[in-house]
Amino acid sequence: MTQTLTSRVADRLRAIVGEDQVITNPDRLVAYESDGLTAYRVVPRAVVLPETTDQVSEVLRVMHGEGIEVVPRGAGTGLSGGALPTPDSVIVGTARMNRILSIDEQNRLAKVQPGVVNARLTEATAPYGLYYAPDPASQSTCTLGGNVAENSGGPHCLKYGVTSRYVTGLTVVMADGEVVRLGGAGLEAVHGLDLVGLFVGSEGCFGIATEIEVRLLPKVESIRTLLGIFDTMEAAGHAVTDIIGSGLMPAAVEIVDNATIVAVEASVFSAGYPVDAGAALVVEFDGTEAGLDDDADRAEQCCLSAGATKVIRATSDEERIALWKGRKKAFGAMGRIAPDLLVQDATVPRTRLPEVLARITEIGREYDLKIANVFHAGDGNLHPNILFDRQNQEELERVERASREIMTLCVSVGGTITGEHGVGVDKRAYMSLVYNEVEMDMLRSVRRVFDPDGRLNPGKVVQ
Amino acid sequence: MTTAKLAGAMEAQRERLLPCVHCGFCLPACPTYNRLGDENDSPRGRLHLMQAVVEGRLDPESDAFQVHIDRCLGCRACEPVCPSGVEYGTLLELARETASTARAPDGLTRGLLTVMASRMLREILFLGGRTLRVTGLASVMVDVLGRIRFAGRLRFALAMLSATRPSVRLGQGVMADGMESQDTEIKDAHAPRVGVGSVGILRGCVQEGLYGRVNDATARTLDVNGYEVRTVTRQDCCGALHAHGGALTAARNLATRNIKAFERAGVDWVVVSAAGCGATMKEYGVLFEGDPMEERARAFSAKVRDVSELLAETGPRSGASVDCTLAYDHPCHLMHAQGISSEPLKVLEAVPGADVRVIAKADECCGGAGIYGMTHPDLGSRIGGDKIAAVRDAGADLVCTPNPGCMMQIGAGFCMEGDAQEAVHPVEVLDESYQRAGYYR
Repeated sequence: MTQTLTSRVADRLRAIVGEDQVITNPDRLVAYESDGLTAYRVVPRAVVLPETTDQVSEVLRVMHGEGIEVVPRGAGTGLSGGALPTPDSVIVGTARMNRILSIDEQNRLAKVQPGVVNARLTEATAPYGLYYAPDPASQSTCTLGGNVAENSGGPHCLKYGVTSRYVTGLTVVMADGEVVRLGGAGLEAVHGLDLVGLFVGSEGCFGIATEIEVRLLPKVESIRTLLGIFDTMEAAGHAVTDIIGSGLMPAAVEIVDNATIVAVEASVFSAGYPVDAGAALVVEFDGTEAGLDDDADRAEQCCLSAGATKVIRATSDEERIALWKGRKKAFGAMGRIAPDLLVQDATVPRTRLPEVLARITEIGREYDLKIANVFHAGDGNLHPNILFDRQNQEELERVERASREIMTLCVSVGGTITGEHGVGVDKRAYMSLVYNEVEMDMLRSVRRVFDPDGRLNPGKVVQ
Repeated sequence: MTTAKLAGAMEAQRERLLPCVHCGFCLPACPTYNRLGDENDSPRGRLHLMQAVVEGRLDPESDAFQVHIDRCLGCRACEPVCPSGVEYGTLLELARETASTARAPDGLTRGLLTVMASRMLREILFLGGRTLRVTGLASVMVDVLGRIRFAGRLRFALAMLSATRPSVRLGQGVMADGMESQDTEIKDAHAPRVGVGSVGILRGCVQEGLYGRVNDATARTLDVNGYEVRTVTRQDCCGALHAHGGALTAARNLATRNIKAFERAGVDWVVVSAAGCGATMKEYGVLFEGDPMEERARAFSAKVRDVSELLAETGPRSGASVDCTLAYDHPCHLMHAQGISSEPLKVLEAVPGADVRVIAKADECCGGAGIYGMTHPDLGSRIGGDKIAAVRDAGADLVCTPNPGCMMQIGAGFCMEGDAQEAVHPVEVLDESYQRAGYYR
């Protein structure tokens, strides 16, 4: 049972961040019971919304002194329950820390507060001919602080790499309120051990990043986007294997299956995919204009020989954007099919894709569950979306069992339990599938270095 | 009414709430969330509160439900970005009905809704308003009240009133060097007519009371473009203010009168120049869901068009030159609720000499939202202040936006700062252009 915060502690927090930035009324805390993963719900004791590094530091100092657990939260769009509160916790939300602090055009660096929305950074740097590369499907709403915590990826990370490749410096408030500066000035870990690298992907367990320095890239000159339509998921999987195997370097390779196509086409983000297709494959190439058409031709050939019934090329920017919209908004569009969904996240070696996909379909059948697949096929990162209704307890149990079976399957073919969504609470139970006890102890030890008392985002990743 | 009964009213909306999968794509589109950062002040958070009421976990009388449902601007910017197509606007109105049944809204809101629902009271109010406006008393009082503490809300109301006066600059000042029209060859008032069908104009409450000239301009410009404009008697306020406030019964009563009036007139199109009214009338079908009137309401809604839609369809016909720069802002109830954004710009394209500059963040609410500036003075003035700054950055002669609430809000914002910036409706600009071309002679 959630305990309310004593008024003495609440008053101290209000003195730091202001009256309205501390929420203790239990009715107003309900909205914070979940992030993007609604299968888990826990109401926190309070929510604090600071605006500066100093405020975060003072807040954590109070929490440390009182022995209260802290759960950091960005936009609350995470899909592994990373921002799920514990009953004793206080949420420290970064929504008000939404300023871009500096853009260094010459050195192609930007410094931001953690609450800055991913896509807004690209918008703000566009006038300089620059952009921020990692592009999670939720980039129009997710924040960079959350991206750092989860080491987020996205469709174009196939070619450009995930968040860790772009974070060059961090200002971090530690569990006891101490402020440390890691890396910076684009230097990353050139001196000593790579603490920035260690922090990125720490899922809110090591500290709260209050200033983030990231590397920007010059805007790409040209883009080619293809859409391949296939009768079966297996054929689409083979096409992916062929494209990568032929030595091509696509910027992104994405697959959506029939259930997803139907959902997206029924939503306001209809992308014009044929609703009777077994699978649709999106392949994108980017870079300098020269050579792009050859790459697209070769990829088209791979699709056709793998059995594509049709290959369409986007001929305008609008078409390209519409095509991507259908992929990027797939999660929300699932609301059309069922009240709840669990977006699973796992990675398998690319060559094993076709057999894994076939087996996932069987698992869905065995557990009588609707599973819609959307994924970054180029790097073998699967997102099986399991649809359900949380009011149905029995169905919820089947969802959990099917999830576990999918995870076990992915690990058994040489894959792992997450590609980009993090472990959070949802994948904690699967950690033993990929780590032995010695390795788990290593993880715990590292965590203790940053947070000796285990009060930062407790219960996440490892116990 | 008991809590259980109220929760039951929301329960009927379960089907509408279910598509929300908590993805959070709506967060950055929300003007209140962007400024406050509290999940409860985001569309996802408000839907969560509604769901909690349905599940019996939250009392509709609670501060949490009352405050956060009330604080929503109702701009519906969250709808086009929602991949699940959650009908937020409809849910908000129903939540407000539940909230206002649990706890009566403030006197100001109740009074305003009562006045708007009655033709007689409305006429008295607007007569008084026009008197204050024409005598210049309204703007004098804005000035005087600026020096008196605690007069903020009254002062803002008077600033809104003062902002509704006809544009002086559009009529005379904006023409370069005070020249007559340069397009002397456009004189044929009876050039080919392309508009097809008969139209009846919804004259509205505020629109008719304070912006009658916009209704008149709507009639004249439609006529020039070939539409047959018919007078529709016994029509009333569209009920938008009531529906937005959750007074759904009052809204249905007003809607019924309009449906009957326009049926009697037998027009092909129901045309409106106020974005807020258009959005509500296009959703009369939903307002009467499950009611015997539903079918007639849907048929009515199918005929509703914003004036810019009909004009854009015909071209529209080009007029004489009106040399001016216009800072254009999208009304939320046109852009987000009706999906109309290019049509008003097309109307302005027909005016030679008009240099239209769409302001930065034109898709964000101006903070007008009915009487938000008076019910939420702090937040309303922050949102309004950002809009004023964006308009200033555009550096134009006039503000142009096709909704009375937005014209008043933006005009009032400037008025409060002692700035004489005027707000006009796109059809006023087109009307001026036609006037100068001699189409009305």
